[in-house]
Formats: sequence, structure tokens, C-alpha cells
Amino acid sequence: MACRRGLVECTAAVDRHICNGVCGCCGALRPRYKRLVDNIFPEDPEDGLVKTNMEKLTFYALSAPEKLDRIGAYLSEKLIRDVSRHRYGYVCIAMEALDQLLMACHCQSINLFVESFLKMVAKLLESEKPDLQILGTNSFVKFANIEEDTPSYHRSYDFFVSRFSEMCHSSHDDLDIRTKIRMSGIKGLQGVVRKTVNDELQANIWDPQHMDKIVPSLLYNLQHTEEAESRSPSPLQTTEKEKESPAELSERCLRELLGRAAYGNIKNAIKPVMIHLDNHSLWEPKTFAVRCFKIIMYSIQPQHSHLVIQQLLGHLDANSKSAATVRAGIVEVLSEAAVIAASGSVGPTVLEVFNTLLRQLRLSIDYALTGSYDCAISGGTKIIKEHEERMFQEAVIKTTGSFASTLPTYQRSEVMLFIMSKVPLPSLHHPLDTGRAGENRNRLTQIMLLKSLLQVSTGFQCSNMLTALPSSFLDRLLSATLMEDSEIRLFVLQILISFIDRHGNKHKFQTISTIGDISILKLKVDKCSRQDTVFMKKNSQQLYRHMYLACKEETNGRAHYEALYCLLALTSIELANEEVVVDLIRLVLAMQEVALVNEDNLPLYSRCALYALGAAYLNLISQLTTVPAFCQHIHEVIEMRQKEAPYLLPEGVFAEKPRLSRNLDRLGPEILFRQSKISEVLGGSGYNSDRLSTPYVPQLTDEDRLSKRKSIGETISLQVEVESRNSPEKEERAPAEEITYETLKKAIVDSVAVEEQERERRRQVVEKFQKAPFEEIAAHCGARATLLQSKLNQIFEITIRPPPSPSGTITAAYGQPQSHSIPVYEMKFPDLCVY
Amino acid sequence: MSMEDYDFLFKIVLIGNAGVGKTCLVRRFTQGLFPPGQGATIGVDFMIKTVEINGEKVKLQIWDTAGQERFRSITQSYYRSANALILTYDITCEESFRCLPEWLREIEQYASNKVITVLVGNKIDLADKREVSQQRAEEFSEAQDMYYLETSAKESDNVEKLFLDLACRLIGEARRNTLVDNVESPLPGEGKSISYLTCCNFN
Repeated sequence: MACRRGLVECTAAVDRHICNGVCGCCGALRPRYKRLVDNIFPEDPEDGLVKTNMEKLTFYALSAPEKLDRIGAYLSEKLIRDVSRHRYGYVCIAMEALDQLLMACHCQSINLFVESFLKMVAKLLESEKPDLQILGTNSFVKFANIEEDTPSYHRSYDFFVSRFSEMCHSSHDDLDIRTKIRMSGIKGLQGVVRKTVNDELQANIWDPQHMDKIVPSLLYNLQHTEEAESRSPSPLQTTEKEKESPAELSERCLRELLGRAAYGNIKNAIKPVMIHLDNHSLWEPKTFAVRCFKIIMYSIQPQHSHLVIQQLLGHLDANSKSAATVRAGIVEVLSEAAVIAASGSVGPTVLEVFNTLLRQLRLSIDYALTGSYDCAISGGTKIIKEHEERMFQEAVIKTTGSFASTLPTYQRSEVMLFIMSKVPLPSLHHPLDTGRAGENRNRLTQIMLLKSLLQVSTGFQCSNMLTALPSSFLDRLLSATLMEDSEIRLFVLQILISFIDRHGNKHKFQTISTIGDISILKLKVDKCSRQDTVFMKKNSQQLYRHMYLACKEETNGRAHYEALYCLLALTSIELANEEVVVDLIRLVLAMQEVALVNEDNLPLYSRCALYALGAAYLNLISQLTTVPAFCQHIHEVIEMRQKEAPYLLPEGVFAEKPRLSRNLDRLGPEILFRQSKISEVLGGSGYNSDRLSTPYVPQLTDEDRLSKRKSIGETISLQVEVESRNSPEKEERAPAEEITYETLKKAIVDSVAVEEQERERRRQVVEKFQKAPFEEIAAHCGARATLLQSKLNQIFEITIRPPPSPSGTITAAYGQPQSHSIPVYEMKFPDLCVY
Repeated sequence: MSMEDYDFLFKIVLIGNAGVGKTCLVRRFTQGLFPPGQGATIGVDFMIKTVEINGEKVKLQIWDTAGQERFRSITQSYYRSANALILTYDITCEESFRCLPEWLREIEQYASNKVITVLVGNKIDLADKREVSQQRAEEFSEAQDMYYLETSAKESDNVEKLFLDLACRLIGEARRNTLVDNVESPLPGEGKSISYLTCCNFN
């Protein structure tokens, strides 16, 4: 056996000799470099590289670097021949020699040498033998770690990228070998990246043709983490193997790659990731997708993170018609990525990010409503699952929140303005879609957008309410349209709460109660700043009005009253100066009045709830003002209620099983909070008692005229009605407020009963008439005319029950054309009357 | 002294639906065997084979791609640098034939415009289960300006011919291209090599 082997080796040696002879260089005449190269090969390849001769070769190469390229060429020629003759022992030796030479020679002539080196690596990689592939890769990796100081123009790594990527997908039958080949492939890719990434002269590794191979190959290995781990048999081996697992290695490689990506390259690197996730449907369980993008976000240079976000958004748009679960996956990834990218996530196009998200939200609402992705081609091939769409919508909302949380305050309020501007509201110029479908869509859109808004506003801490909440925002938020639906109404209240709560007191008012000592709440209170005062000056009336109207809604549930209480309480501790406190007390007393007079025929629960709300708030505010007499009055009433009417206290009303009484019409004065008493006790402590004693009446806004719901105009007319009905009694009580034609007219012209504001308003009106364009004045007057009409209707209805024949004075006064079929008071004023 | 061990190097990429026998064709050609129960290819596979045509060494880099949809993105990235594409379908599977236009669109989109495409109907050993007639396939390939060949990797029918013919065509194409490239300054004696195309022909 040994003899035979010797023979084989012998023939091999002879072979080589003959070859050399054939080359035309016999023995001693051969060039020195060839002799040196030949000498490093032992007779028996098992002996390995002849070390002493290798040193000689190295020394020669160093002293005569111009010969290096010939050495390389000769070595590679030998190696290629050895590969084809399956003399793998010699192949390994040649490779070892090459590696050593490469390491030793850091000089200019390395360039030519490298060419033959790469040819040899390529030759090894072409082989089917795993050992040779791995050998070639290892050499290549060593080479990749050498920093060359001279540029090389004509080097192509195409084959290497292709082959290494292919190795990453190895499906060798033997598991161990498969893992080894895959590892080699990853290492090779890492080598190519290292070698080329910073050299602009070399093949651009960032070109899609390379990235589309490298990235999916790495991801393919990354996604098989679990499989690899579960396979390792013993725990001891596990730790060792994990260090070496392809998944770990590919993760490291991916991080390195992304860390080196410059601005212009991000796109090419990220796109294959998304396509890979698409193709392997990895958005849906989303764990892997999230992991991928975590790796990406943590490894790319932070100033580029917004590019990733943009790509994801673009991908979301491209997937508009994919299954909801896929879209939800992308959105979830976005949400996670946004948090990592922190301040840099949104980049220069803040609103574009939110625009995309909101567009997707609207699309999803449409899909859910119509049941198909495209109204035109509803072949029914794709069935839309409503609950999946809903999950998607929730994901979008969550993502909106996580984006917003990364923004600085000023951008956040911009975003909130933007979202608010997208909430569909009816206006003169853009009537909303009508019909049931349209209404439903509007409602859903409103809910979704308000949810997003709530998400954005949580944790929003603005130092300056005035800039954070411009009136264009508040106007829309407090619009009457958003009050009709109880769910939407609650959202609006919650949004207001999260705006106003800047010290994290919100949760302390989550439940309504009349606690004896509020110090246990440990409220965090700052003094109301100047800006806050200005904000309240400007917007308080609108806020009060909103709360007042909100409390009168029949469809209110417990949550609404709790939110109202919370809002009242927070306003008192965040934004209140003396004036605001006075107004809030008036407001709450007006709420009590609503429950007492009950002209809206509120259900029993609502009335009790209003009483309870009043009790809870007054209890709080009395303790906040720390006026002993005030506290005492409130305390007395609450004690009274505890004894006689527990159903008027929050503990009774807002319990699991509310205790209600049917008999709310005969409440004794001792269980009601009295305005006169309060104004008296507070007046003594320096509060404006005149103002306190005036009942609160909501301010009329432009919008009321447009809204379809029972308008405030009507409310006021009703008050007029009430007042005119009770006029004799009222005359006794307050002779100054005699209802004459003059006062009535005044009430019509200027609907605000708050006296202090009257003068100011008048001045404004005058100014408006002086400065405003004609159309505006006309519109204003037109609106007033309708108001006048509605009031006249009201008065006619009260005063003249049987429709009289056209009354001369009135028709004459308004130039009403005669039309006998309609009673005069039902006629509309022609538009021309306005002018 | 040339370090190259070949005269020509061509990249050939096999594409087509999953399970039509791409890997078997490659195996039959490169290793001369027919692996029964060949599993689905993962991503892409690489094989190399050097053949001699008219005394010239032609090295064929053969990239055998996965047919499964999920690997489409990585396989597409291999089209670009290909000199030739072997578009394979299964003659016993109507579906794989019906997908051909889709594959042609992919080629249009991702491959170079100089690429040579060959249509191959594989598994002719299963003649009794044939679903796609030869005539139909021939008409299709004619309309698309492709060469058409029917093979059996199992019986080794036409496999050798497929690759060798393709290599011939590629050589011809390569020579023509060098010729076109040099049209500005023709080298003496180069003009005569134009007739190389006749060395082999399809069908």
C-alpha cells in the first residue's frame, strides 16, 4: 500500500518535471523565481509547505518586488493544474504560500500579484468540493483584510459576489458541511464588502446587481436562527456553536454593511430587504421583519435613518392593495423603527410621513366599508376581513403616536394641526358626502383621526399653550359636528384633557368623587404662566361653551362625565387665575341649572350625573381656593346630599349600580349649590362677586349657524322664551332686566349676555363694518337675518298661537312679498334684505 | 503565458417554474447523473463545466435558480449578468407552460438585451403524460423568437446537445460582438471569422 502510494507520488513528481521541461526551461536554466517556487512543494503533500524554502521565496519576493507578479502567475498556473488533477494536498500548499506572500508584501507591485491571486481563489470557488470552496474563501477573507495603498482599476468581484451568495444558500446534504459552506459564503461576502466598500475606484458594491444578491443571502441565513439553535444537540456544544452560527455571522455582516452605507447607498441596501420580506411573506408574523429593521436602524449612520423610514413608507404605499396583515406588519415595523431613529426618524418631510399614514388609514376605512380594494374591479378574489383592517388601523394609529413622540414640541403641534385639518368637517364650501355610506365613512374617519390625534397628544407637554393650540386647531376640535356622536365627543374631551394636563395629573381625576381632603392626590401644580393667561383670555369662552354643550348631550355615559370632570379639574389646576376660577364655578352652576330646569328633557341618569359632577367639581375647587366659607358651604351641601339625596353625589351615580331617584323635581334648596351664597362667600375673599352672581350663558359662534344640530340660536331663543314666560316674576326679582322690545333687540343683535364683553364686542363690530370687505359684512348680516328669523318664529309661536292674517306692520317693515298660502311668520327673508 | 484555462467563459442561467427539472438538467450535464428525489433548490446553485468546441475550451458557468416564488428576488439578480438563459418548462405540466409569458416578462425586465434565450421542454420520457404538444411549444417559441428543444434529464436525451448548441451560439455571438466592437479599426485578418455561426445549429 505504502509502496503504491510512493509510486503515485513519484509519478506526480516526474509529471511536474516533464511539465517544466515542456515549458522549455530545463533544470538549472529555469529562472530563479520558478526554482524557488518549486522548492516550497514537498515530495509528499502530507508534509505540508517546506518552511525554510518558503522563507527563501518570501525573502526573494521582498528584495525583488518586480518579480512578484511572475511568482504569482507561476504559482497560480501550478495550482490550476493541481486542481484539475485532483492533487488537493498541493493545492492547499500553493494557497498557503500565496497567503504568506500576500501578507508579507505590502508594496506597489502587489497589484499584479493580486490578479493572479484572485484567479486562484476563483478557481477554487469553481470547484464542487466544499473543502476547496472553503479554502478559497478563507484566503479571500485574508486578502480582504489587507489594506491596499494603491488603487486597482480592473478588478471585478462579480463572480465572487455571485458565488458567495450562492454558497449562502447551500443545500448540501450533510448538515455540518452545509453550515460550513454557508458560513464561508457569508464570510466571503463580508470580505467583498470590506474590500470594495471604501474604494470608489472599484466595482460599486452598492449597485443593485450586487446588493440584490448580498442582502437576501444574509437575510436568508438570518431568518434561520431558530432552526439552527434547535438542532444543536448538547448544551455544551450550543454555546460554542452559537458563536459560529450562520445567523449570528450574517447579522454581524449585515451590520457592518449597513454601517458603511453612505447617504446615496441606503436605498439600494434597504430595497432588497423589503423585497425579501415580501417574497418570503415575513411581514405577517412580523417578528423577523421587526428584528431586521432593528438591526438596520441600529447599524446605519443615524443621520440616514429617515431614509429608511421613507423607504418603508414608500413600501407601504406600494402595498396599498396587499392584505391588511401585510400592511399592518409594515406599519408595526415603522413604529418600531421610528422609536429607534428617535429625533432623526422623520427627517425633513415631517408632514409627508403623517400624510402617508393618514392616507393609508383612509384607504383602510374605505376597504372595510366597501369590502374590496378597488370599487371598479371587485372580482371578489380578495376578501377583505374587517377585523384585519381594524387591526391595521390600530397599528397605523399606534405608529402615528410613536412618530410624534420623536418630534420636538413645535413640530408636534404642527402635526396635530395637520391631522386636525384632515378631520372631515362640514363647511359651506365643502359639504360632506351625504347618504348613509358617506356619513358612516365620515364618522369612521373622524374617529380614526381623533384617535391618532389622541395618540399624538399623549405625553405632549407644551410650555406655551397659545402656540401649541392655535385657534384654527381649537375651532375645528371644538366644532359642533364632533359633538353629535357620543364616541367622538369623548375623544374630543380626552384630547383636550391630554393637552391641558402638563404635569401628569390626569390619572388622579380618572374617577369622580368628593374626597374630603384633596392633599392625598398629591397634585403637581405650577403657577399659571402669563402665556396661559393669554390663552385663556382668548379661548376660555369657547372651552366653557364646549363643556357646557357637551354636558347637555343625552347620550352621555359615565365616561363622558368623568372626562368632563377631569377636564374641569385640570383646567382649574393648570390654567386658572381668579377670573377663570370664577368662570368655571359659574359654568358648573349653569350645569346644575340645566339639570334643575331640565328644558331638554334629559334622562334621569344625565340629570343626576350633572348634579354629581357639580358636587365633585365644587368640592375640588373649594379646596383649591382655600376659602373657608366657600369650603363650608360646599361641605354642607354635600353632607346634606349624603343624608337625603345620595343619588346626587358621584359616589351614588357613578357606581356599578347607580342609585337614582325618580323624584328630581322637588329638590330642597339645601341640597343645591346656590350662586348667591357662593358669590357672597367668594366675594368676601376678593373674587369678583358681580361676575359670580351673573349666570353663565354660552357664547354664540359662527359655526352654530352652519351646524345642523339644534343650534345655540335655538337655545338662546328658548331662554328668551323662558324669560318671557317668567317675565312677571323676573320683573319682581330684577327690575333692571325688564323685557322690553329694546332688550329683546339687544339680545338678538348681540347674543352674548356677558356684559363685560359687550362693549368690546361692539367696538369690534364697528371696526369690522369699517374695515371688512363688503361680502364679509353681507355674509355676517345674512347670518344674523336667519338668526332673527328663527327668533321671530319662536316669538310668534309663543305669542300668536293661531296664525293671524298677514300683519301689515311686519310685512311692510321687511318688504315681504305677498304670498297668501304661507303664514307670514313662516316666510323666509329674501336674501336681498340683507343688503 | 496565459493563466486562463479557457478560451471563452459564458454564464448560463436556468429559470422556470419549480419542479420542472432545472437542477436535474444541470446535474445530468455537469455530473452525468440523474438524482432521483432531488429536493427543491434553495436560492441558487452553481456548477461549472468546461467543454471543448472546435478545439476551443469553453467554460460554462451554470447558475441553476430556484423556481419557488419566494426566491424570486435573489434569482432575478442573477439574470443580469447572464449570457444565456435556459427557460425550462415541464411538458407534462400545462401550468408550467402557461407561466412562460410571465417568465418572458421577467427576462425582459431583468436580463440584458443581448441575452440568448432557449426554451426547453423537459421530461419527454413521460410522453404518455404529455400535456403540452410539441407543435404548440414550437409555435410559441417561434413567436417569441427563441430556440426550442425538448429534453429528458432522466434519459439524457438532448441534454448534451442543449448545452453544446448553446455554447456554439454563444461563441458565434461573442465573435460577432468583438467584430462589431472593432468595426472602427478592423484588425487585419479578423474579417474572416464571421462564418463561425455555421459550426452548430439548433434542430
